[in-house]
Amino acid sequence: MVQASPALPLLDEEHAAFIQGGVSINAASSGPGNLPAVSRALGCRVSADRRRVTVFLAVSRSAALLEAISASRRIAVAFSLPSTHRTIQLKGTDAALAAIETGDHELAERYTRAFASDLAAAGYSEVVARTLLAHQRSDLAAVEFSPTAAFTQTPGPGAGAPLKRT
Amino acid sequence: MSLTVEAIRDCLDGAVPAIVATCAADGTPNTSYVSEVHFVDHDHVALSFQFFNKTRENVLANPSATVIVIDPQTAAQYRLALRYLRTETEGPLFERMKAKLSGIASHTGMAGVFRLLGSDVYRVLSIERIPAGELPAPPRRSLLAPLRVSSDRLSRCATLGQLLDEFLASLEQGFDIHHAMVLALDAPGERLYTIASRGYEASGVGSEIPVGVGVIGVAAAQRTPIRINHMTSDYAYGRAVRESAERSGWGSMLETTIPFPGLAGTRSQLAVPIIAGGRLLGVLYVESPEDFRFRYDDEDALVALSAQLGMAMHAQEQAAESEEPPATAAQRSAPARGAPAIVRHYSADGSVFIGDDYLIKGVAGCIFRKLLSDYSREQRTEFSNRELRLDSSIRLPDIADNLEARLILLEKRLAERCEFLRIEKTGRGRFRLRVDRPFKLVDVPG
Repeated sequence: MVQASPALPLLDEEHAAFIQGGVSINAASSGPGNLPAVSRALGCRVSADRRRVTVFLAVSRSAALLEAISASRRIAVAFSLPSTHRTIQLKGTDAALAAIETGDHELAERYTRAFASDLAAAGYSEVVARTLLAHQRSDLAAVEFSPTAAFTQTPGPGAGAPLKRT
Repeated sequence: MSLTVEAIRDCLDGAVPAIVATCAADGTPNTSYVSEVHFVDHDHVALSFQFFNKTRENVLANPSATVIVIDPQTAAQYRLALRYLRTETEGPLFERMKAKLSGIASHTGMAGVFRLLGSDVYRVLSIERIPAGELPAPPRRSLLAPLRVSSDRLSRCATLGQLLDEFLASLEQGFDIHHAMVLALDAPGERLYTIASRGYEASGVGSEIPVGVGVIGVAAAQRTPIRINHMTSDYAYGRAVRESAERSGWGSMLETTIPFPGLAGTRSQLAVPIIAGGRLLGVLYVESPEDFRFRYDDEDALVALSAQLGMAMHAQEQAAESEEPPATAAQRSAPARGAPAIVRHYSADGSVFIGDDYLIKGVAGCIFRKLLSDYSREQRTEFSNRELRLDSSIRLPDIADNLEARLILLEKRLAERCEFLRIEKTGRGRFRLRVDRPFKLVDVPG
């Protein structure tokens, strides 16, 4: 497991671009009794210094996850590109609800298009992808965290290894 | 009513990877993708265990898992709360999942990477429909109506030949399945031989599949349906069968191999064991050049219809053991005219050649030799199943062996490969040898 050093963020520029692209995103936390809670996320924003990651969730579909996050502050988020199976997982221990910023709704819309387009490239139905991510603007919540561990999770022998900077 | 696993089976066909979340003992969450969430029964699913990863480590320490599955057509999403029970590394469930995963792997470019190490069985504690948008479900035809019609057709059949013809015709007319075959089990030989097919250029009657090889062989070995929704070389016939034949020592007899009739570019395959009274009688195999042609519902329907076929086959076999008196007096046929053909029988493997053309081997070959020998000696043309059963020269494996299936095989091979010899059914447990040209039977000792 790689710890974030004060000098360098865990994510390099390429990683940041990857997790903000047309990847499938799912976020998990541990709830009461150590029960896992999980929801599909609706997009991702990385801060300019790449030390803070924000994922968007539909509140109506994420009640257990949001409760677990507010109770435990723990989060795990997997980002996977359907067409290549490339997958990265980030973990953090300071996750919390954050304010929706200007441009976040547009970001979620751009994300939906990028995800649908990658799914279509992988042979899946684009309309199914759009339907999966469709949501009311008023339903969008943001959860922000500082990644403290990052792993490559692409299926294969190297899965589970700490993420390497490129 | 709360949702059961049956109600969401369309989400469990491996079309879209599922999301899985687990927690380590210290509470650290983990989330990942799982290629296959497999339907086990109304309150169990099995997840494909493909790598020793965090998900695996976590469930062994803390058995709770949460999974999200998606309906590939409507985008409906369901969240399942699961509790890990056990891992199976062999047996029917494992083989079903291994075959399905092989299709998923090759379809998604992960052949050689995705390999099933185990089937992780979970109890389903709850299923929640995630409140999100859904597309209208495409209209789907009920399979119960064609099942009823097909079942009725089977119940009217009086012979094994009719039964097989009606069965394959029903699959085509009722279920829109255009490529199908029925294979019978040769238990001592640990192989299956094709006794009927529909939708292929060559019938392939007599072609053999070793038990355990490919979709058909695994279905027989495990007595469980095997279904693959994509093209995969792991379960392709052709080279695999040939290699297996060479390994098992049949390689020396490849000149007596009848080509397996299967589609070259098959994309969907389903093999269903035919079982009656707890005994495996054979396998139904259906295939299609389309991806995802056979779903859980198709599998259910074909399992039900194959069970009826099995019972009917068993009943035919039983009935044939108690022969009815011949409908017509035994005939001494007029001696056939023309130059005699040479028919060679090799006692080493029971193979029979008419001229230089391979006809048949094994038990069916020995039966055929007895018929020709009796005809040569005393111009006899009328025979009964019972006397074959009692004839020590035929070496029928045992009373449970499906003699009717072997006679069907012989009858069809003659119809396809020989112009002057025929087997004709004359009544329950009785048949006639028709000879339209003289022949000379040559026994080649082995």
